[in-house]
Amino acid sequence: MKFTSKGTSAALVAALMLGTAGLMGCASDSASPAKTASAKAESGGEVVAMRRVNESQYRHAITDIFGDLEVKGRFEPEKRVHGLLAIGAAETSISALGFQQYYSMARMISTQVLDPKAIDKTVPCKPANAKAADDVCAEAFVRKYGTRMFRRPITDAEVAARVRLANSGATESGDFYNGLRLALTSMLTAPEFLFRYEVANTRGGKKEFDAYTRAARLSYLFWDTTPDEELLAAARDGSIMTQRGLQKQVDRLASSPRIEQGLRAMASDMMQFSMLEEKPSKNGDIYPKYSVAVMESAKEQTLRTMVDHLLTKNADYRDLLTSRDTFIDRKVAAVYQIPYTFAGEWTPYTFPEDSGRAGLQTQILFLAMFSHPGRSSPTLRGVGLNEIFLCEETPIPPADVDFSILNDVSNPLLKTVRQRLLAHATDETCAGCHNLTDPIGLSLEHFDGLGQPRKMENGELIDVTAEIDGVKFDGAGGLAKVMRENQRIPACFVKTIFAYGTGRHPTEAETEGYLKRQTKTFADSGYRYAPLMRRIAMSAEFYSIPAPEHEVEKTPQKVASKQGSVQGPGKQEARAGDDRPFKIGGL
Amino acid sequence: MAILSRRSMMRGFLAGGVGVSVGVPLLDCFLNENGTALAADGAKVPIRFGTYFWGLGLTHGPNRWVPTKTGMGYELPPEIASLKGLEKKVTVFSGLRIHLDGKPNVQHHTGHASILSGEAPPQGGQFQHASFDTTLADEIGGGARFRSLECAPYGSNISYSTRTGKSFSTPEVSPISLYTRIFGEGFQDPNADTWTPSKDAMLRKSVLSAVTDQRQALAAQVGAADKLRLDQYYTSVRQMEEQLSAELTKPAKCESCVVPASPEENPRSSEITRINHNSKLMADLMAMAVACNQTKIFNVCHSNAGSGAYLPGDSKIYHLHTHDEAVDPKLGYQPNSAKLASLHFQGYADFIRAFEAIKEGDGTLLDNCLIMGFSDTGNARTHATDNIPMFFAGKAGGRHKAGQHISAGGEPVTRVSLTAQQLVGLPIGEFGHGAMKTGKAFSELIA
Repeated sequence: MKFTSKGTSAALVAALMLGTAGLMGCASDSASPAKTASAKAESGGEVVAMRRVNESQYRHAITDIFGDLEVKGRFEPEKRVHGLLAIGAAETSISALGFQQYYSMARMISTQVLDPKAIDKTVPCKPANAKAADDVCAEAFVRKYGTRMFRRPITDAEVAARVRLANSGATESGDFYNGLRLALTSMLTAPEFLFRYEVANTRGGKKEFDAYTRAARLSYLFWDTTPDEELLAAARDGSIMTQRGLQKQVDRLASSPRIEQGLRAMASDMMQFSMLEEKPSKNGDIYPKYSVAVMESAKEQTLRTMVDHLLTKNADYRDLLTSRDTFIDRKVAAVYQIPYTFAGEWTPYTFPEDSGRAGLQTQILFLAMFSHPGRSSPTLRGVGLNEIFLCEETPIPPADVDFSILNDVSNPLLKTVRQRLLAHATDETCAGCHNLTDPIGLSLEHFDGLGQPRKMENGELIDVTAEIDGVKFDGAGGLAKVMRENQRIPACFVKTIFAYGTGRHPTEAETEGYLKRQTKTFADSGYRYAPLMRRIAMSAEFYSIPAPEHEVEKTPQKVASKQGSVQGPGKQEARAGDDRPFKIGGL
Repeated sequence: MAILSRRSMMRGFLAGGVGVSVGVPLLDCFLNENGTALAADGAKVPIRFGTYFWGLGLTHGPNRWVPTKTGMGYELPPEIASLKGLEKKVTVFSGLRIHLDGKPNVQHHTGHASILSGEAPPQGGQFQHASFDTTLADEIGGGARFRSLECAPYGSNISYSTRTGKSFSTPEVSPISLYTRIFGEGFQDPNADTWTPSKDAMLRKSVLSAVTDQRQALAAQVGAADKLRLDQYYTSVRQMEEQLSAELTKPAKCESCVVPASPEENPRSSEITRINHNSKLMADLMAMAVACNQTKIFNVCHSNAGSGAYLPGDSKIYHLHTHDEAVDPKLGYQPNSAKLASLHFQGYADFIRAFEAIKEGDGTLLDNCLIMGFSDTGNARTHATDNIPMFFAGKAGGRHKAGQHISAGGEPVTRVSLTAQQLVGLPIGEFGHGAMKTGKAFSELIA
């Protein structure tokens, strides 16, 4: 049946009681535009992408919509594709265990929202009788939250389903608010809430994202949360589709302190924090200072460093690879072997020059994450730096390498890890990749598998000299300088932000054209973060829908082959998070 | 709400059409679908199926794990010696291969992806097809509270059970979380003397009906790949509904079901003895979940592909040893790697022992199960995709002529996958794709 947005009728009430889809007049003024937009979506909307909401986005949305609530539960593991979980989010679904968890969190949230002490604030109306169904008030409640939760106007059919549920629940339990609790639980477990639907309409033969999808892209890019009322309003009146309206929103989002929340989310993804859960935990016998709490502090240290550098100081992005400025707390200080004589939980700190620490890649997080449970790994660290800062994915090592030479410890020339690693460089099959990873990692060998300082290993002084592309350098400080001047570092950052925001790997055409232009402007403006974000958000490409690439045009995944060395790292379509750290030969 | 009367439950619940059918209590939990009483010989007990994966295969080397004798009465080489006493209930497969069909050997991925989905994938991170345990879960997993349960003693979110090929089931990663899932909220002791229906399970279930209300409208808007993901989501919703339905039904008595005590909380660790300890605790819980009719299908990942487990106090992980360790010229294999291989396999042996320890009917729970053990590689040192070790444990209700060593001579792994599905009663004639498509089950194993 068709609903009218105005007026009440006894017939409708009767229809509701009979359980057919019927709806009362809407208590909210937004009913009419909502109807228009939903009608549009129904007529031509095509879901181009379904992106699963991750833990931080979920938590931010709950806080923004309902306030500070306790939310305990296990979120679905994420999947890293092309270096980013943001891209993997468009591939994952929700498993049985995952749904059970979302369901239990939904009950937890709705119980708090409908707590007798909270309802004055959370429920926009009073039921005629608190012990019975009241579909007018139920509908007002569902509409109040529905649009925020689904990031677009909630449709009449969606409202109707919840009002039915609220009514029958209220009748069965003799409690109006219990009915609302069920309705809210159902909205919190709906795919429309747990996934971000990116919807496109066709206009003039061209597909373009609708206004609400545009609003959501902005909101998640800058603030990592569901769009606020103002963004939704700009989508509703269509102003966000104009350059001026878009500019207004971008200015507002970028100048808000909440941009820090967005940077933290993007940085956590880019820096591959999820590896900590995926990888085997550290061997406590070898690293007694290791604990889950230390690694939490290590994450926070890296995030504070990035926020301070990129936002507070508005400094050159490339200096993140050389800067000795950071923040420490008592836990990370112990690992760095710095006496913690400071007041407060966190304190700004500058590593002395002779510490060898320079850049994010010399912080505990990076060093420990790209190591084995009981030892450092030059190869893994090289892979990590290549992926994170150079956007270069390492091909899978060949399957049939003869390791017998490397394994032969009776060979007097292959006593140390360095010597055995360098033997890779003389083996044609291995050299292609190991020449790109190992020199980087070897220069970081003054930090052990937890990131603690060391000069010696097994009684021998550790040699941290290395060479990349004919440039010789010494230790972490030397590496930092070499990395900073690498032109691909800023290009990679631009690409990462674009891919993070759009949830997809850029096309060849975008990489060659658009991203190169963005990188040029990034360089011209001194490699500043916030202006880069604004430019990307203002560009048409950020909202474009590339035609599906033809199957045969896809770059096949390169696998290092025995026939010849690989010229450079190939593209890897996807990697299972769980297997990931072990793709590279074990060194 | 007043306590629901049985009559109000029977006539259905909500005016909005959220009907709930309530099963009449059964006399015992293991009747077949026709309601035929359990035969005295236990033949009507449903067959349950599980997979058990461990990383890095077993060691290639003189008499390390492949028995010299084929057929019945094989002996136990050192790396599978932990099977001692269970030989008659376990079939060993050697000489199996992955036929790559021109695709690369995606290390630590191609092996299990091929076994479970029937085709070597062109790249990591995904399977070409659903894993066959999900087919079994849909076909024979009904009637239990969970359609399947997954766990990973290793403590990471590893599972190779997938309906879409891209989105994998999330496993329980600690004994305590597995315990809570099975025996926590919503569990009903089938042998309890009294039964009161869960007061709000129906209301909770009604929530899900509203969720599924929009299914068709949503499905019409999405492309094919997203449709699969949406289907996976709705399957998960459906599984939650089944769980809640179970709460609304008086459980039938299960003679073997003894509700266990909660295991202790222990921190995640990659040290092999700690993984094996977790695996054992999870084995007890999983076996009881099966005995208590909470699930008929389960999937276990003992360790990840390319295992990151390590020996106590050792600075090198297993995977590193397989690359780094010298082959001992006298022994003819890598000693630490071999030690770790034996310990990984022991996880499987201990796991099936937990099922053997529970009596069911005239035999044991293991007799009514088929638990397929397998790994990602054959010989880890070379990342080989030939001679991938595979095992069947349990008699599958008497259908499995267990206790044999099958020397497969380069046959594809999919023959084992097909055989497993036929043994648990799936009426299929072939399995796999391309070069690994096969219609040939190992008929010598089927009674």
